[in-house]
Amino acid sequence: MSPVTLRTSRDLPPTSRSLDTMEWNHTGSWRFLRPRYQDKVAPCAEACPAGEDIARVQMLLAQGAFDRAWLRIREENPFPGVCGRVCSHPCEAACNRGEFDAPVSINSLERFVADHARRQGLAPPPAEPADSGRHVAVVGAGPAGLTAAHFLRRAGHDVTVFDAREEPGGLLRYAIPAYRMPAEPLAWETGLVMSGGVRFQPGRRLGEDLGWDELSRFDAVLVAVGHWAPAPLGVDGEDLAVDGLALLEDVRRGRPPEVGGRVAVIGGGNTAVDVARTLLRLGAEPVVYYRRRLRDMPALPGEVAELREEGIEIQTLLAPARIAARDDGGLDLALTPMAVLDEDGGQRPRVVPSGHPEIAVAVSAVVTAIGARPSPGTPAAGLDPDGSEAVALHLRRIRPRGEWAERPPVFLAGDLVNQNRTVVAAIASGKEAAVVIDAALRDRALGDAWSAIRVGRKGAVSLNRLAGGDRAFRLDHVVRYDDLNTIYFQYLERKKRPRITLDERRTGFDEVHLRISASLALSEAERCFHCGQCDHCDNCYLFCPEVSVRRDPRAETRQIDYDYCKGCGVCVVECPRSAMVLEEEPR
Amino acid sequence: MRRVVEGSHAVSHAVDLARVRVISAYPITPQTHIVERLAELVADGVLDARFIRVESEHSAMAAVIGAASAGVRSFTASSSHGLALMHEMLHWAAGARLPIVMAEVNRAMGPGWNIWADQTDSLSQRDTGWLQFYCEDVQDVIDTILIAYRVAERVSLPVMVVLDAFFLSHTYEPADLPEHADVDEFLPPWEPVEVLDPAEPRAFNQLASPEFYMEFRHKMQQAMDEALAAYPEIDRAFAARFGRTHPLVEHIPAEDGARAPLALVTTGTITSTARAALAELRDRGTPVDLVKLRALRPFPQDEIRRVLGPYGRVAVIDRNLSFGYGGIFAQEIRAALSSLADRPVVYPFVAGLGGRDVTPDTVRAVVDRALDDEPPGDILWAGLKE
Repeated sequence: MSPVTLRTSRDLPPTSRSLDTMEWNHTGSWRFLRPRYQDKVAPCAEACPAGEDIARVQMLLAQGAFDRAWLRIREENPFPGVCGRVCSHPCEAACNRGEFDAPVSINSLERFVADHARRQGLAPPPAEPADSGRHVAVVGAGPAGLTAAHFLRRAGHDVTVFDAREEPGGLLRYAIPAYRMPAEPLAWETGLVMSGGVRFQPGRRLGEDLGWDELSRFDAVLVAVGHWAPAPLGVDGEDLAVDGLALLEDVRRGRPPEVGGRVAVIGGGNTAVDVARTLLRLGAEPVVYYRRRLRDMPALPGEVAELREEGIEIQTLLAPARIAARDDGGLDLALTPMAVLDEDGGQRPRVVPSGHPEIAVAVSAVVTAIGARPSPGTPAAGLDPDGSEAVALHLRRIRPRGEWAERPPVFLAGDLVNQNRTVVAAIASGKEAAVVIDAALRDRALGDAWSAIRVGRKGAVSLNRLAGGDRAFRLDHVVRYDDLNTIYFQYLERKKRPRITLDERRTGFDEVHLRISASLALSEAERCFHCGQCDHCDNCYLFCPEVSVRRDPRAETRQIDYDYCKGCGVCVVECPRSAMVLEEEPR
Repeated sequence: MRRVVEGSHAVSHAVDLARVRVISAYPITPQTHIVERLAELVADGVLDARFIRVESEHSAMAAVIGAASAGVRSFTASSSHGLALMHEMLHWAAGARLPIVMAEVNRAMGPGWNIWADQTDSLSQRDTGWLQFYCEDVQDVIDTILIAYRVAERVSLPVMVVLDAFFLSHTYEPADLPEHADVDEFLPPWEPVEVLDPAEPRAFNQLASPEFYMEFRHKMQQAMDEALAAYPEIDRAFAARFGRTHPLVEHIPAEDGARAPLALVTTGTITSTARAALAELRDRGTPVDLVKLRALRPFPQDEIRRVLGPYGRVAVIDRNLSFGYGGIFAQEIRAALSSLADRPVVYPFVAGLGGRDVTPDTVRAVVDRALDDEPPGDILWAGLKE
């Protein structure tokens, strides 16, 4: 460029502007901060024990790409139809939208996607041949065992699942009532696991029809037989009570007991709620007795709310003291009034007898649902801190000592090891088992792999990350509400999940929650902020004062032209969802 | 086509006739009807333009600056405080030599809060480099918008078309709406010389050092001079096609061929009132000539000197006030006449601030005082409750 020499006013253009292109002037050289597109971790994905890529699923849903949304979930969880119904959905509690108006109805949307897939008869891509030459035994066909089996099979191993009962599903099939978990969607999803090449051997109860001689012929064994043994009530007349899980199983097997009149249900967990609501549907008048307060109930709040809607009474701060037979065939239940002793650390409070006189109630039956214990046949060493070690958040391994020294590696997963005995924690446990067993079978040390495959800081792992998929390139930063630029979001009401009528609920086992419509799903999915995920909203493009965001609409990509980007950071600030970072320019 | 049109809608339809391609505006009473109708015309597909919604008048002006920089005929409208908020961008539009046209509805500045007619808002923008044309009636509004684009694009400067709040913006009058085909002949598409083209990036409006800045300003003054010189020719072209003429200084003698002892200078809608009041005075034997002043910038100094110089007395009615001085049009007129050795006595009246009615009585009172032996002074209040 030669300097312009001004002789007269006529030499000048009408305004101050360059006489030629200024493209030679790479203003990017002025930059000391560098913006960059960088997807991050959404809080829902972090909170999901199964590590589902929830924000991306919502994006696909909102685009109407239902099939891809379903496959996206299945990368991390083979049971969206189950979780869309019975999951405790910690994702929604973590949803940033909760601080804005109300969380996205993630659980309903998961159910929608799964039902869509089932109705359309979608099929996942076929599994690769089981060519590792390794054989894995999974004992227990509940959510933990089946999840492990599914992912181990897809990792190339030959997998056989044993279960004491006739059909796979565990608690999902034989305990959780049909009004929450109908048989058909469960059967479809377990069927997909089996059709993916997993062998199933029903009627093989560990310790009875299945022994360690047979299991020792496998290269690895996963025990995930769950908690089916009733916990003792520890009161006189206990023999007169009915085990809640056994009752639920009878109902799910089509052998509902004859019940009527007032029935006492002892407990405050999900089983107690399931039992009470089942009894109501069978024609009885259940009353739940719980030793602590309503707010201390470990059952899911939504389940407790529905129980109360259905008119079931809950009596709190009452512990069973004694059960006695009456002459009329009924029972006398004596209850001890309790008082809260202290509340420490947010845990359930300790309660002690309050000193008030006992209460006696006349009931037709007493059903206990105070928790369950490991199923018979569970190796004692697996539950013993000396006999086994934790190898992941939801996984233990029996130490190869004594009789276990000669056996293949044995792992325990699911409710046997989980503090939090939810379905999704069982699935998380199954995923960890698949990761650990696959590594063991391939003589690969996991080492730092855990940090590479984790999703946030709450323990979830991602198999997409393990396989080097797109999630592997996300920054290990969980997007919080303050990271968002919420000025670009509108307040939108959370869609209510449609339900059958209260009369229908009280008298039958039809599923309480209805599937949401596609239009409702689309509009609910649109509420998602897509925290940390670029959804091509183009705010960066619109705001860039240097016209340095280059857009390829066909490839759906945006790139920053660093020749001219001055690093002002406007794009990063105006990104509504924190899908960019601003970093110091490397010198 | 003759139709009964509201003053505001007259602006909107003229913008449609001018085939404006980008509109950006923020609503403010009493300008809102203009942009509402334009939004409807765009939404209904009548007017093929982009309507850019913005969060402020500053952004509205910035948006049309962007559009005009890219070579697109652009329009905005504002009033009062909205115009004040645009102030910085007004300088930018003129300095960038962009032929934007804005409709400005004269409304008083607060406080006290007042939405009625008062010229102080537009007159406060005197030195921004915008041309300012003041309208008398609905027909004047339609014609002036079309003329404004032609002048603006001829000299590469923005034009403000100014109309009184309510007296004009909200008044329905019969007016002739020209046909598109005729307007297209009078106002062909703008052919910008230099446009901002992302395919060939240049630096626009960058630093102008002391070595260059003064020459750029000189060019703006030259453009103003050119506008003044070209206006009669453009007005003739308009008259040839549409049969109406809108000179910058319109001289309306009470009696043809005679010069009355007093000339009354008015702007905006007060002119219509004065036409009626002076006709009545003439019939009662008091001839007073009327001079309708249409432009604040460029100020037609030669024409003012030619028309007003021979009078003994000149009265000016200003619906505006420069605090610490007086009426602003009177100030400009006195300055223009000051170079004459023999010049009239100027009676600078201030009337009708904040929408107070300037009635035929007000006009008669002004005439009486100017013809009486009242000392001229620097500010004469008309209709003030003293």
